Amino acid sequence: MTHQGRMVTSQGHQLAGPVALLAGCAALLGLVGIPDMAMAQESVAQAPTAYRDLPLIGSRNLVWIIAQLHLLLAGFVLGVPIFAWLCEIVGWKSGDKRYDKLAKEFTKLLTSSYATTALFGGILLFLLIGFYPKLMAYLTDIFFPSFLVYCALFLVETATLYLYWYGWDAMSEGNGKKFHIFLGLLLNVFAFFIMIVPNSWATFQASPVVLAEGTDFERAWAATWNPTWWPVNVHRLIANVVLGGYICGAYAGIRYLSARSQEERYHYDWMGYVGNFIGVFGLLPLPFAGYWLMREIYQYNQQMGITLMGGFLSWLFILQAMLIGVLFLGSNYYFWLGITHRIPGSETQYRKPIMAMLVILLLCLAVWMTPHSLVASLAEAQQMGGTHHPLLGVFGVMSAKMTVSNLMVLVTFMSFIMYWRAGKQDTAGWAKVAKAVMGGVLALAGIAVIILGVWGYFVPAIIRINYFSTSQVGIVIFVMLTITPLTALLLKSAKTTTEMVWGRMPPRAGYALVLNAVMVILLMTLMGYARSSSRVHWHVYGVMRDSSQYAFSPALGYAAALMALNTFLFCMLVAFIFWVATMGDKAKAAAAGPKGQPEPGAIPAMAGGSPTLDGPTDKSSIGHRPV
Amino acid sequence: MSEVVKLQLIGLCVVGFGTIILLFIKAQFARVIGFVSIVLGLFALVALAVPQMASLPPAEESINIADIKTPTDMASIGQKIFFSKGQCALCHSIGPSESARCPDLKGIGAKLSRDFIFESLTDPQAYIYLDYRHEGIPKEYPARMPYINKNPIALSKNEILSVIAFLQQMSGEPISVNPSELDLPRATPAPVKAADAGSVAVAHAR
Repeated sequence: MTHQGRMVTSQGHQLAGPVALLAGCAALLGLVGIPDMAMAQESVAQAPTAYRDLPLIGSRNLVWIIAQLHLLLAGFVLGVPIFAWLCEIVGWKSGDKRYDKLAKEFTKLLTSSYATTALFGGILLFLLIGFYPKLMAYLTDIFFPSFLVYCALFLVETATLYLYWYGWDAMSEGNGKKFHIFLGLLLNVFAFFIMIVPNSWATFQASPVVLAEGTDFERAWAATWNPTWWPVNVHRLIANVVLGGYICGAYAGIRYLSARSQEERYHYDWMGYVGNFIGVFGLLPLPFAGYWLMREIYQYNQQMGITLMGGFLSWLFILQAMLIGVLFLGSNYYFWLGITHRIPGSETQYRKPIMAMLVILLLCLAVWMTPHSLVASLAEAQQMGGTHHPLLGVFGVMSAKMTVSNLMVLVTFMSFIMYWRAGKQDTAGWAKVAKAVMGGVLALAGIAVIILGVWGYFVPAIIRINYFSTSQVGIVIFVMLTITPLTALLLKSAKTTTEMVWGRMPPRAGYALVLNAVMVILLMTLMGYARSSSRVHWHVYGVMRDSSQYAFSPALGYAAALMALNTFLFCMLVAFIFWVATMGDKAKAAAAGPKGQPEPGAIPAMAGGSPTLDGPTDKSSIGHRPV
Repeated sequence: MSEVVKLQLIGLCVVGFGTIILLFIKAQFARVIGFVSIVLGLFALVALAVPQMASLPPAEESINIADIKTPTDMASIGQKIFFSKGQCALCHSIGPSESARCPDLKGIGAKLSRDFIFESLTDPQAYIYLDYRHEGIPKEYPARMPYINKNPIALSKNEILSVIAFLQQMSGEPISVNPSELDLPRATPAPVKAADAGSVAVAHAR
């Protein structure tokens, strides 16, 4: 009881800290803003200040960094409750305490990140009001009612999070647990609305609608319901789950690399698997949501779509292909490592299908990364008869890219199914028929996707976009919706031939998890730049022009350097938050056992220190658990 | 040394820094930082290797009413207002368009009188022209015609007259609005920000 009270106090301090820091930052901002404000007062008679700047770093760069950090933290904070809650339900329904412990560990990371997210949100708001007063006044005039709704949502979200986190142990049994799960549901519902309200502000800037007369609320609602609002809502919801999953995976990967006991290795190996699974689960439908968003952008304003896909941002999509390709490879690689290291004796059995999948993924990636127009000298261009390569130019168009992205999703899905089925033997009488059906569905789907892709070259773009591409997406979704329940039914009666052995993954698995997380963060920073740059020199597209010195969109190299910096800062920030959040656990573990004494047989999972290579340990049996 | 070269050097340094950490440091967290540095440095280097294109904003134009001499001048200004401050192109197209949420304005200057257009802009609910009833599948984001002379668009009388001049000119009609009808500013005129010619051309293409 006393301990709990101390814990509550210390966590209360942890949450109170950022508030004080926020006040300090506000004061600092006030000091920084004094000279500008004085100048603004002198010019009051002329015109209201539209922009302010900051020496050296520049107002846009500072807003870019802070907004990016806030958005990434917000993505994590909104994504984690979804799967923490699902893990809690799985633990409650199955009675497996591991899931409950995992859900609690996820929520601990969430609680410690929540205050920092709010802190960066506050700093961002101050900076926007300070640097872009005219724009903020315009947006406030339109969206003020939704500002109030946002504040109310934040209050109820915070109260629910307090109850959810602090009440975990008190509500762990019986009706208390049911109420706790209900709190988790509320937490997610509020979080969803917290995400979609600010989305309306940002999407209105990109796709404004005309505002007729009416009450303040009616005008705010009309502006909120703009053409890209729902596509962005859906895309961000899925992307947040992906981000949360991969970051939790990376956290587990780092803890796994530095684990000193077999128990820790077992736990963090399993946690890494769950994190990667959640990431892949979200990653599979994400391209479809992205496709919908792009389609809505084209429908809203063709010029904006052209700026993105064929204009000065076209090379950005080659970088996007590279990042997504590495992410798909990294996720699959982690699955393949899992099959070969966690399931003894399966290395030879799965070598051929893994090789085939790797080849398909690499070929798909090569096609996806083929640019529409090649970088060529004048002589080379003359030789080719233009900037389109006579052979490779075929792969640089949307029809080819849509086809390979769908194939990559299919291969990743099959990787997961293969991992799921590994070490199990079907016993159901209808297993052969089911497997034939699954094989047939997969083969036919692959062929249909390729045929539609080739056919897409010979039809007008509008038919390809409206019918062929959507059919390809539909086919892949059909495969997932058919094979997943069939596999689940088959595995219900299947016999386990080889138990999964946790804690035996080589160190490179930990690095693969970190790589996946970095790829997702980079992708979010890249696409944020794309979304913002698609407005070109408009604050609100076609309505309010950016008249500042930063009205230009910087070139990709400069932007990528800032993206890399933002990603690094975010990683360091998250590492710091997680380190603080788990400091108490380490102290408790140290108090429970002799300090610095690893358990017998434990090997730090440094490069080359894998038990797979160094032989089994005395406590290896702890890893023998079913999935 | 150009900015790209400077950034490339920084990228190389970051990759080198990460490599040194991985080669010489055993602490796991530091090694992960080294690994992340290499990944980020390589990403920046790849991004710096592709063609570097920045999107520069077109020059802003200020419109001074005193410079308007002919009806054609008015139509030219009206065209800019149509595609920028007036926000007309957010909903209306000039020529058939699948994505336009409101009536196509091609030929509108020939179809409607100047006074009717003025009333449609300043009192849009006064008379609903039935030829514009939309049939078929409802539009996804229907829009109601706003009062153009009120907030948030708030075009002045001069600006509305200029837009009418543009609509008439675009419809091949003689422009019935004359610069003498414009209210001359009493104090210093506030410049009207106009859109760039690029946006106008693109909207025409739509």
